[in-house]
Amino acid sequence: MTTPTRTRRTPRPGWLLLVPALALLAGILLVPLFQSLLRSIGTPEFTLDHYASLFTDGVTLTVLGRTAMTAVIVTIVTFLLGYPYAYLMTRVGPRLRGVLLVIVLIPFWTSVMARNYAWIVLLQRGGPVQSVFEFFGAGDIVFQGSVVGVTIAMSQVMLPFMVLPLFSTLGGIDRKLLLAARGLGSSPLVAFWKIYWPLSRGGVVSGLILVFTLSLGFYVTPALLGSPQQSLIAQLLAQRTTQLLDFAGAGALGILVLVITLLLVAWANRFGGTISAIGVASTSRTKETR
Amino acid sequence: MVSRSRTLTITLGLVAVTGLLSGCAGGSADAGSTGAAGGADAPATITFVGYGGGGQDAQIEAWQKPYTEANPNVTFVNTSPPDVAQVKAQVESGSVQWDVMATAPYAAQQNCGTLFEKLDLSAIDQTDLVEGTVGECYLGNWINATPIAYRTDAFPAGEGPTTVADFFDTEKFPGQRGIVTNLQNGILEYPLLADGVAPDNLYPLDVDRALDKLDTIRDVTTFAPNVGALQQAVEADQVDMFLLPDSRLVPLLQGGMDLTIVWDETVASLNAFAIPKGAPNKDAAVDFISSVVEPEQVAKISELLGVAPVNTAAKPQLDEFTKQVEVYGPANTGGTVLQDVDWYADNFNDVSTKLTTWLAG
Repeated sequence: MTTPTRTRRTPRPGWLLLVPALALLAGILLVPLFQSLLRSIGTPEFTLDHYASLFTDGVTLTVLGRTAMTAVIVTIVTFLLGYPYAYLMTRVGPRLRGVLLVIVLIPFWTSVMARNYAWIVLLQRGGPVQSVFEFFGAGDIVFQGSVVGVTIAMSQVMLPFMVLPLFSTLGGIDRKLLLAARGLGSSPLVAFWKIYWPLSRGGVVSGLILVFTLSLGFYVTPALLGSPQQSLIAQLLAQRTTQLLDFAGAGALGILVLVITLLLVAWANRFGGTISAIGVASTSRTKETR
Repeated sequence: MVSRSRTLTITLGLVAVTGLLSGCAGGSADAGSTGAAGGADAPATITFVGYGGGGQDAQIEAWQKPYTEANPNVTFVNTSPPDVAQVKAQVESGSVQWDVMATAPYAAQQNCGTLFEKLDLSAIDQTDLVEGTVGECYLGNWINATPIAYRTDAFPAGEGPTTVADFFDTEKFPGQRGIVTNLQNGILEYPLLADGVAPDNLYPLDVDRALDKLDTIRDVTTFAPNVGALQQAVEADQVDMFLLPDSRLVPLLQGGMDLTIVWDETVASLNAFAIPKGAPNKDAAVDFISSVVEPEQVAKISELLGVAPVNTAAKPQLDEFTKQVEVYGPANTGGTVLQDVDWYADNFNDVSTKLTTWLAG
């Protein structure tokens, strides 16, 4: 009875609540983005040369591949570290959970610069990490200035972005379902795989997407810990903008990265609503055969 | 209109918040231009963009303070970094906020008349100035030498590298090299010199040959994106021999590092000031930059930073540290190559792209 009146009254004020956010987005994101797009296809007049040259200049694709690989590894590492951690957070008492949460958040609150410089100190020539390798007889391993170093540091920097969405999803899973599964004769492992894991997909997907997209465009860590020899896409963008003043080329590169990212997000959303393609395929197939 | 000091505070705040709020920052630039419009003696606030850090502090000390003392109507707002892309963005959006900007001279020349004002510097007495100091769109303010240097303890006593060729000889002189990827610091000149190109015949640079030579030390070289990063790497013993400019060697020497400078052939480059096109206080800016090539100002900056003077009449009183890096002084027993601004201005984009491709490949 009350439903019709409510639906008639609420739309307008509800919609209005979005206005500040939309105005902000339009002003500081959409308009500049659109300008970049126009510039990339309209300098000096309509042309796709700036896009074509990305594929032929011999460096963009190399760097793009390196960047994607780095982002994939960072995403996998943060997931492998983050999932068990978030799971643990849902299984402990409130006090310990608070402690675990703070441990995740402290680096989140710490300046990204401070953390990256800390990693420089750890990973540089003669630093503690090299000393450990030296102790085991492999003294020549220096991670600073390499993609490996960047990957290690980025994994740490990105970890909160994985743990937080995972924690919020895992925390909302009704564990009575697992009890029910056990009660119906399922082993703990099967109960986890068939009940818990599918229910955690939403958090997993958002964590994966968040970390991957952030990693793809990350600038600070590669700039500080990497080197020009092993630059990632954001460094290439910066060089194109600040040194060559090639705003059109930089715009084209930026748009290309954006399109790749959006495609991946769309793909992840499609399959990802029910988790990564392989996982879904195998679980649904087993369901069908039984 | 808000009071002057309030406007200044707002300007500073906005500069800190960067270009996101460029619309509002444009407003403060208008405030500056109203100041300049009133004539030569009207109050003006010059927005000065330097490389930051100790270098900019020295410029404030050596140049801005004396200028304000002589011209009490002119004050300075300091900001950093002097990013040419920012100038392009400011010029294109029609809200130029910067008046004086430190830059590589070829960047100013490359964009002369489009991003930077053509300058009438005929009032400057050029008799004692190093050739090439006065350009169409820039005025040189000092010369940076980037000699080859090494940590003295990285090699047995008396057996360190002594020539440019030694820097590229990884068998005789093993160890980590450090090179800045800026074109101003000799990344292309040194490999050619080591490969046997005579200093007089360097330009036009054979970039491919330089990169081929760099290939031979690539695996043992730390390429730093800027001089600050390399200075830090030297300080942390990350590299054994390196190409670091004089003004960055001085603080290391002052800090007690034992460095040996290899005076064989040394690459030096002019540093300059340019004025973004449409700068709100152009006249005051031109007058100010003209003042920094006078002997006293030139001497002062050399004393503070260890850079080489653009005015031969300058007589800097160097201390024990700045003396060690004095490229035009008795310390330098070898030759000096001054970078060819015109060649770089004509070829910057090609060269820069080639280098990046080589580095990233």
